[in-house]
Order: sequence, then structure tokens, then C-alpha cells
Amino acid sequence: MTDKKKLGNFTSENAPEYEDVLQCMRCGFCLPTCPTFSLTGRERSSPRGRVALARAVSEGKLEFTEAVKEEAFFCLDCRACTTACPSGVRAGEVMEICRSQAHQFFPLKHVSKSFREFVLQKMLPNPGLLETSMLPARLYQKLGIQWLVRHSQLLKLGPEWVDKAERMIPELHPPLRPQLADVIPAEGEQRGRVAFFLGCIMTLMYPEVSRQTVRVLTHQGFEVVTPKEQKCCGAPHLTEGDRDTTKLIAQHNLDLFMALDVDAIVTDCAGCGAALKEYEELLEEAGEHDKLATFRGKIKDVSEFLAEQGLRTEDLKPVEKIVTYHEPCHLCHAQGISKQPRELIKAIPGIVFREMEEASWCCGSAATFSLKYTTESQQILDRKLENVQATGAELLVTANPGCHLQLAWGLKQAGLKQEVVHITELLGMAVSG
Amino acid sequence: MISDTAIQHLIDKLGKENVITAAEDLLVLGYDSTPGLHATPDLVVYPTNSEQVQSVMQVARDYKVPITPRGSGTGLSGGSIPVDGGIVICLSKMNKILEIDEENLTATCQAGVVTLDLFNAVAAKGLFYPPDPGSQKISTLGGNVMEDAGGLRGLKYGVTRDYVMALKCVLPDGSLLSTGGKSVKDVAGYAFKDLLVGSEGTLAIITEITVKLIPPPQDKRTFLAYFDDIRIAGEAVSKIIAAKIIPSTMEIMDKATINCVEDYVKIGLPREMAALLLIEVDGHPAMVTEEAEGVERILKEVGAAEVHIAKDAEEAASLAAARRTALSALARVSPTTLLEDATVPRSMLAETFALIERLTKKYALTVGTFGHAGDGNLHPTVLCDERDADEMKRAHAFYDELYEQVLAWGGTVSGEHGIGIAKKKYLARQIGPGGVAVMKRIKQAFDPEGILNPGKIFTDGQE
Repeated sequence: MTDKKKLGNFTSENAPEYEDVLQCMRCGFCLPTCPTFSLTGRERSSPRGRVALARAVSEGKLEFTEAVKEEAFFCLDCRACTTACPSGVRAGEVMEICRSQAHQFFPLKHVSKSFREFVLQKMLPNPGLLETSMLPARLYQKLGIQWLVRHSQLLKLGPEWVDKAERMIPELHPPLRPQLADVIPAEGEQRGRVAFFLGCIMTLMYPEVSRQTVRVLTHQGFEVVTPKEQKCCGAPHLTEGDRDTTKLIAQHNLDLFMALDVDAIVTDCAGCGAALKEYEELLEEAGEHDKLATFRGKIKDVSEFLAEQGLRTEDLKPVEKIVTYHEPCHLCHAQGISKQPRELIKAIPGIVFREMEEASWCCGSAATFSLKYTTESQQILDRKLENVQATGAELLVTANPGCHLQLAWGLKQAGLKQEVVHITELLGMAVSG
Repeated sequence: MISDTAIQHLIDKLGKENVITAAEDLLVLGYDSTPGLHATPDLVVYPTNSEQVQSVMQVARDYKVPITPRGSGTGLSGGSIPVDGGIVICLSKMNKILEIDEENLTATCQAGVVTLDLFNAVAAKGLFYPPDPGSQKISTLGGNVMEDAGGLRGLKYGVTRDYVMALKCVLPDGSLLSTGGKSVKDVAGYAFKDLLVGSEGTLAIITEITVKLIPPPQDKRTFLAYFDDIRIAGEAVSKIIAAKIIPSTMEIMDKATINCVEDYVKIGLPREMAALLLIEVDGHPAMVTEEAEGVERILKEVGAAEVHIAKDAEEAASLAAARRTALSALARVSPTTLLEDATVPRSMLAETFALIERLTKKYALTVGTFGHAGDGNLHPTVLCDERDADEMKRAHAFYDELYEQVLAWGGTVSGEHGIGIAKKKYLARQIGPGGVAVMKRIKQAFDPEGILNPGKIFTDGQE
């Protein structure tokens, strides 16, 4: 670590840049787009307010208090404010950094600390360990949910969330990662060679979705390479404020994927895509600027990639369904990918596409937010479900496992008929065979 | 400081959840969008109805505590900043639209209703509320009325003042005042509502507003004209007005602004051009056709480099939306954006652009200029860094010299943002000591104790 000058009341380790908080000119354009501000009407729970708190800490006008920590975690990190901000302020990232600060100011007690470290530093970076058992009970542990149970007090979790977590887990199939061949050939005329970044949640909870992603990619003429040594993208660590482990994982994935001779690195998880695209900023201290820029250029969400390459529609069979699309925050706000998934959906023969109101409004999942803030998460989800229902769609298409879990659970709870599908599942329906 | 008994009194009246004292909350309720200004209140209250506003005012009166009204904090002159501490009264929870009266073409709403929400609600009934300040997505009607907010449509449709028909408010002595009504004509005594509009929260706290609505235009056409020289754009504006064409919108952006906005919206604005004009004509289709031809002819005559017509309503809306981001987009370039609000008679536009160019060079600054060219209302914005004392000094000298000339041309130091804290020292220069004295007597009549929004409009020496 290079020696950094201490910024106000932040610690010198993983502190925000002063320029980043100064950038906010307080126009308030972010306020109407923020789900937590919409819920509370409280300025400190808005992007403008949160950045102002970070600025006050960095100017020594405020200590890093419990309330600052609370706001750092209450932020959904949905990045809707980033999309809305003409001045280029990234309030979500500032809050991610504040989460890291929160762990320094409010260190966990010994047992809790070692358990958190076990989950974030040992389990998640190691796909082999994650996959050793597929019993749902064990899976909870692997995903850190048991850790959350133990910390329910620390995180002020109510008792209702355990039940919720249990019911949210979909029917599980064997993880996909060990089943995928290292190289899967393209079908028809080959258009390129891509590496597949297979996210932890995708391989463990949605293996059948990612199987469709690979199937669609090969059907579209791409050879798919899946390096088995890949690790978690680092998003859970960043979300929980563990920036040091994130950097180690990021470096590993960077080196691994850059050693491959591929045209693009494709992922079907919006959360992973967003995290991978941020390696450039995360690892900038290491100085490998050209390598990082090339890596950044190769990372593609599967929708982004297919829309860019153009969908081969000749042998797609019609899918006679009415569908609507929920935009994952980490796709539309964090990566600016909004029109591509719609283009793909509309390109499928037979589809009737109905746009929902507020398609880019968060669903309330937001990593562990849905478990930490069950009431608020439900309110955000209800708003989303109302908009889904109003479309009369049969299928709700999305592109991120967090949204997928939350929406499927919400629809089932509300007794609604819609089924949630990943965009590659929808494309998979149109692929013959 | 505010006493515990006063706080308890407020909690009794408003409920605990609407009386805020946590340091982190107070810290973020003492700013608006004006750069460099911040003060911390002792307490913040969120009333939910007029009676509660009255209760809060009575507590402020009884305990002689300063009280500052606030909406969404998007003001650009510091009007809602609690310079003397005390109570900040946030009206954002009073956000109900109470009535849309289709027979009288009026809408009545609480002060905390967001401008765009009112626009959308009346549009759903086939009606039109024209005032559209840049921050309409979040600004409140109460704030709009207090600052007499303008917007992109001011040229043809006027500003907030032109739509206010009635106000209900709470005076600093804690009494209620209701002024105006739904009658189109009303000359009963002094026009209090006209005095309250633009009073920057110094005379009363508004709780309820009735505005006039009009039928929306049936048709419109939107032009985007590019210029190699910003003075030619200024000339185009003057010529269009002189040709007796009143577009609904005639907005300008200079090169610096075009580039910052394009960095954000990415819709293909011309980065190389010195300026662009966004012009919209609306009304009856026959009139729109005629005026559009006139505008196009004049743009070609004065020598616009390129003239484009928006292909549909969606493209027109995206252009207006892009223009609305101008100020915030300029903030991408530097940590501090000092925005001003100089307004000149429209015949002086080309000269004003030349003056801004000259002063920019003289004081070695980076300036982005945009604004409502059709109203002669420009927002020359200095892109600077508040940590650089010398640069800030030059920025202030720039504005001093600019305003001197603007006033000499018969212009005003504030077209639509208000005096607030930011422009206090310029007010006397514009209206003279006599004018200030009368204003102060009016303030004294409404607020003899000086508890309501102190420290605004008048400099200390004048108080």
C-alpha cells in the first residue's frame, strides 16, 4: 500500500477521494431516482445527502458515526443516481468505500470477524470449496447466510429474514462449473471465440440458466472457453466493504482471463459484469494500465455482446409469449446497458413485448439488502410487482440472479402468475433442439 | 440554541417522527444548490398540514427562534439556508394535489408538490401548467412561488408569477393569510399574492397554492441551430423577436456547455460549434407552420452553420431534457460551478456575449454560458475550484464587472434565481437605496421580529 494522506476523519486505508465528493453540486437531480429517498423522504438517505455526509467526514466536520455507517449499508448501491447525475458523481461507489470504512471504525467482535473472513476470504474466492456440498442447508453457509444469522444482531436483522432467505432459494440443480467442458465448439459458421465468466450465484443457484447462456452463445456461432480456475468476481466483498480481498481476487481473474486468446469475456450476471468492468479503477494502483484497459474492453454482458454482434435469427423458432423486461440496476445503471436486451427480446419471432413503468427502478434485492432491510425491500418490491402486473405479461425477463431471486419470490408470494426468466433462457426457448 | 421546552412543544404538535434533531440529518438540511453555502440548523421539522405549519411558526414566534422554509433544496441563491441556525421547516411532506378544477381551469395543491408531478397530473386531464424550471423533476411548487421560478418556456408563457391565482400562507406572527382566489379578475385591496410571489420566504410561509392552467398547444416544431460564432446566435434571437415571432423556447448553449452536456447525454451534439440554439414554436398547426418558416428563414439569413428539425416529439423532448442538465453537466469539469443569472434586454444579447468573452479572457477563467436566450436571461457559469483563493477572487471580479455593464444596459442581476444570500450586494446597485428602504419597510411590516428567513435579500448594513 502506498502511503496516503489522511482525508479528514476517514482512515487512510480505502478512503474516498476528496475530488469525488466535491464533484456533487447538490442540484438534486438524483433525488427522484433514489428508491431509499423515495421510501423515507429523508435527505440523508438520498444520494445527495449521502455524498454530503461523506464530504463532511472528509472535511473533518463529522466523525464517521453509526449513522454514516447505517446510510452506507442502507444505500441499495443500485446506481440509479449515477445514471441521473449530469455532474458524474458516483454516490454508490462512495458508499461502497464507506462500507469498507465502516468495518475499520466498527470492527466485528472476534468470532464474528473470523466467520466473516472465512466466508468472504476463503469460501467465495474458492469455487471448489463452494461446490463440495449441495445440500441447501450447507449452501446457506456457503453463501454466507449463516454468517448473517450469527450477525443478525450486529446488522440489526429482524427474525423474519431467516424464513425469507429459506423460501427465496430456488430448486437446486448440480452446479454448472464442473460440468462445462473447457472449450465448447461453435455451431454453424464460427463468428468468434469468447471466454465465459461464470458467476458463483449463477453456477450454484441458476446452473440451468447459464447452461442456456452457453447454448445460445454456441448456437450464435461462438466458441466458448470456460477457465475452471476463475474465482468470484469480488462483488460480494465490495458490497460488504472488504476491498482488500476484492483486489486479490480481481488480480487473479485479470491474469487468468488475459492469458486467454479470446475476442471477449462474456458474463450472464449483471452484478459480475459491473464488478469486472470496475477492476480498472480497483486495481489502478498496481499500474498495469494497458492490460486493465484491454480487459475492461473485453468484458461484455451477454446482451451487450449479442446485440453488438447481431443476432442470427434465421433458424430461431417463434416464442408465442407476452413478455416484459425488468432492468437489473447493475446492467442499466452500472453498465449503461438498456436498449440491447430490448433489441434482443424484440428480435425473437412471436414475442409480444410490453414495456413496464419504471423498468429501471430497483427491485429491492440489492445483494443482502433484502435480508437486512426486509420491510423496506418489500416496499420497493411491491412497487415493482405492481408495474409488472399492469403489463399483463406472461413472462418477466431479467438478467441478474439477485433480481431473479427477489422477483420470483415476490411474484409467488403475491400469487401472481408471471414466471421469471433470464434473457438467455428466453433466447434458449427460440433455439431449436 | 433552541430550548428543550420549545422542542417538546413541537413534538407534541407534529409527532416525534416529524421533528428531527440528529446531527447527520441537520448537516444535510442546511444547503441548497448554491455553491459554497452551508449552515447547520438546530432543528428540522416536517409539517404535514397547514395547522402544523402554524404551530411551528407560533413556537418560533414565542421563543424568538429564526425559522427558514425549505422545499427540495434546489435553489440557486441560498434562499433556504438557515444562516442563523434555528428551525428549518421542510414542506416536502405536504405534497398533495388537492384539486384540479376543470371548469375554472385551476389546480390547487400543497406547497411541497413537485413541479413535474403537477405538470403530469394536469396533463392527464388535457391541461397545461407551463412553468418548467430546470429542476422541475424535484423542485417544489412552494419553492417555485417563493423564488418566482422561470424555465425554458418563459419567453412565450411567462414565469411562475403569471400562473399564481391564490395563496394560503402563515405569517410570522402565526396568523393565517389567504389571498387571491379562482376569479380571473380581483382588485380588492393590495395584491398580497403578487407581493408574496418572489419574496424568497422572507414574508410568509406558503402552505397552499392555486395556479392557473391553460389548454396545451396542439402542435409544435423544434429546431436545433448551430453557430460558428456565439454573437451570430445572439443576433438570430434578436431578429426572431423583431420579426414578431414568439417561440415557446429559445435556449442557448455555448461550446463549453455543449461539450459537458454531450459528455453526459451522448446524443450527438456538435462539439466543434461555438454555440447552439434550441428553438421551439408551438400553438395552432397553421400558426406553427408559419412561424417555423419564419424561424428557419431568419436562421439562414443570419448565417447559422446548420439548422436541424427534431423528427418527432420524442427527439424534441430529449433535446429539452439535455438542455435542462446544462448546469449540472458543467459541474463535471471542475469542483465548483459559480452560476449567475444576468438578464439583459434582448436587443443587447450579442453585446452581452461579446462582453462575457472579453471578461473571460481578462480574468483568465473558464466560463460556460447557457440560458434562456429568448428572455435575455443568461447563466454565465465560472468553472473553478473553491480551494483556489486567487481564482475565486478573479471569478468575483468577473461578475462585478459583468453586472456593472448589465445594469448600465437596463438589465437585472437576477432573472429567475432570486437575491438570497448570493446576490445581496448587487441589489442596492440595481434598485438604489430608496428601493431597498421601501423593501425593508415591507419586511418590517410582515416580520417585525425578523425571525422569518433572516439574512436574505438585504446586506447587514442595510438591515
